[in-house]
Amino acid sequence: MDSDPTHDAAPSTPRGSAIYFDGTSSRRHAVTLGLFSDRLEIKADGRTLAAWSYADIRRADSPSGTLRLTCLTAPALARLEIRDAAGAAELVSRCSRLDEDFPDRRGIARIVGWSIAAAVSIVGVIWFGVPLAADRLTPLVPQALERRLGAVADTQVRTLFGGKVCDNAAGQAAFTKLVNALREAAGLDTSIQTAVLATPVPNAFALPGGKVYLFNGLLARAQNPDEIAGILAHELGHLRHRDSTRNLIYNGGTSFLIGLLFGDITGSSALIFASRSIATASYSREAEQNADTFSIDVMHRLGRPTRPMGELLFRITGKEGDKGLSFLANHPLTEDRLARMSKEDAAPNGPPLLTAEEWKSLKSICDPGSKI
Amino acid sequence: MNQMVVAPPPLPAAVSFSGDRGEFRRLVTRGALLELVTVGFYRFWLATDIRRHLWSNTDIGGYAAEYTGRGKELLLGFLFALAILVPIYLVYFLIGLEVERAKAFASLPLVLFFYLFGQFAIYRARRYRLTRTVWCGVRFWMSGSGWAYAARSALWGILVILTVGLMLPWREAALERYKMRHSYYGDLPGRFDGRGWEFFKRGWWLWLLGVLALALTVWAAARKVPAAPFLLMVAAPFVYGAFKAVEWRWWLSGIRFGDVWLESALSPTALIGLYWKVIGWMLLLMVLFSGYMFACLSLVAIVNQMPMAKLFMPGNLQANIPLIGLMAVGYLALILAMNVVVRMYLLRDVWARVVASTTVHNIEAAANVSAKGELANALGEGFADGLDVAGF
Repeated sequence: MDSDPTHDAAPSTPRGSAIYFDGTSSRRHAVTLGLFSDRLEIKADGRTLAAWSYADIRRADSPSGTLRLTCLTAPALARLEIRDAAGAAELVSRCSRLDEDFPDRRGIARIVGWSIAAAVSIVGVIWFGVPLAADRLTPLVPQALERRLGAVADTQVRTLFGGKVCDNAAGQAAFTKLVNALREAAGLDTSIQTAVLATPVPNAFALPGGKVYLFNGLLARAQNPDEIAGILAHELGHLRHRDSTRNLIYNGGTSFLIGLLFGDITGSSALIFASRSIATASYSREAEQNADTFSIDVMHRLGRPTRPMGELLFRITGKEGDKGLSFLANHPLTEDRLARMSKEDAAPNGPPLLTAEEWKSLKSICDPGSKI
Repeated sequence: MNQMVVAPPPLPAAVSFSGDRGEFRRLVTRGALLELVTVGFYRFWLATDIRRHLWSNTDIGGYAAEYTGRGKELLLGFLFALAILVPIYLVYFLIGLEVERAKAFASLPLVLFFYLFGQFAIYRARRYRLTRTVWCGVRFWMSGSGWAYAARSALWGILVILTVGLMLPWREAALERYKMRHSYYGDLPGRFDGRGWEFFKRGWWLWLLGVLALALTVWAAARKVPAAPFLLMVAAPFVYGAFKAVEWRWWLSGIRFGDVWLESALSPTALIGLYWKVIGWMLLLMVLFSGYMFACLSLVAIVNQMPMAKLFMPGNLQANIPLIGLMAVGYLALILAMNVVVRMYLLRDVWARVVASTTVHNIEAAANVSAKGELANALGEGFADGLDVAGF
């Protein structure tokens, strides 16, 4: 451009043409640029529209072939667009801090570093914090709430397993006798409820709020009352330790944190599932071990052998060690449990828990018509 | 120079996209890798970089747009959204517990609440993006209420369900009218002139085609024709691709800011090829992944000196920790590659084609607009992230 530089003591003549937006309107100003030693002057029709100090000039996003600049001291959206390459290059060489606000390698390294720190901290919370919180919070959960949880779980269990409760009179009498003996030895009050469900699945479990279900499938494979007594005592141990509530808090906490960790990577649900399985399995193994300890104590108190429970478990699962990964199992390995219960086993010195007749009745608790 | 005698009629301004495809590929590939090493936290910066690339290479009447949002804002929005969502989830859980005990379907209103929350998030997320969109030194901005929008969205949603999708054009028109009525460019108010009927006229045959394809598939499946599922799989990219093209064209052609109006000439077939390319890439990646898995299995079999058949015996597969590690690496690579493919074709290429189909009329009406409007926070984006909803 042929503007007149003589009246200015500038070291460099105003040169190059550019478009200037002043940040208060979308009006385009065709401007000339004056490059001074410390600042850039933006002029139109002989008037100076703005003066930007080089140190305050920053680059704004633009397509290739256009240099777009902004200035820290100007209105936030003031923009200068320069399209001739030579003018742009000269201006760029003067603005030393042009790209300071763009995330460079250091910025990205910082994001990566903080992300890894956050991940480590979340994993740490999952590993140490959540179990601790579950242990501390569980006693604070009111019994009433626990019973409600139990009621919800109860309806689900009943729909899932057909829901038929076995209660022919003789069998029920034997079952009640067995449960009462165990309950008293375990030091639990009468609020616990127990029932046998007519399903071939060999299992038993405790629900929050004091409910224990024994499945007929387990009863069918048991050979003596001590086997069933050991299992029931184990479930009472879960009730005593309030393990379902603890598990609920623990599982809720880990699911949430792991979900947070993997966030948005598509297909991350498989990752979430895998890492959750590993985290919760070790926690649940510990709870199972404690329930086993409880069961062993109760059986000792009743003067009954502990080995039969281990034998019943072994009969159902077989040897587990060569199947699957032990760190994914949510129970201790059956052979380890059998070994432990055999070690704790003592010759029976208490009276049998059920008579032969009662045991027969209990075994046939699900036969509808059976009478004594 | 000769004096101009007759002023030529103002030409419609072209909208063009000049982004380099290789540059975008590098951006999303690097982003995917960074997402991996940051266990997903990089998503905020990646989303920002993608938008910056798309915006700044979109030229409207000679001036490129600019996206001024930053990844840190999205991260903060996400954290704030989390702080609000966590207690809500907790209360949701407790309420759900209470009502499920009483009646099985009683928790349905809670699902509705989360739907409303998702729509609210969509509105607020759009507001964030709009206030970060700058053209010629003036930003776009948005007013209106996210909850009012969510209520409209839910009511129209019920109508759409009741009419098996036939009311969809009117729903989109009504919602877009609300959004555009509250959108501004500086002091230039926006509005949406697209009518539901127009959209219906252009798209009803797609609805019919979709219903026909579904009916045919069900019919074929009932007769045990083995190719039945393929029918729908082949039909879906055509029908969906055409639907998206029709929708884009109708939406763009309805946008107004003051006297400025947009027009799109996107052909209904313009996007179908992109969907097929994505499907092709997915198949290729699956084949590669299967090959990799086979190679891993062979390697493990050779190292353990175990015949392949024995490797598949129960227990052996799960117990092999190196194998699990190799599979996890392959799985992650597959997921990352798929993300890159989807972003390349369904984000960048769709954007490029849609932008290239657009012209702006009367752009002079935006030549001297006063700046106005406040920046909105990224809380809406955070909610949208937390609730896994997306919209524009």
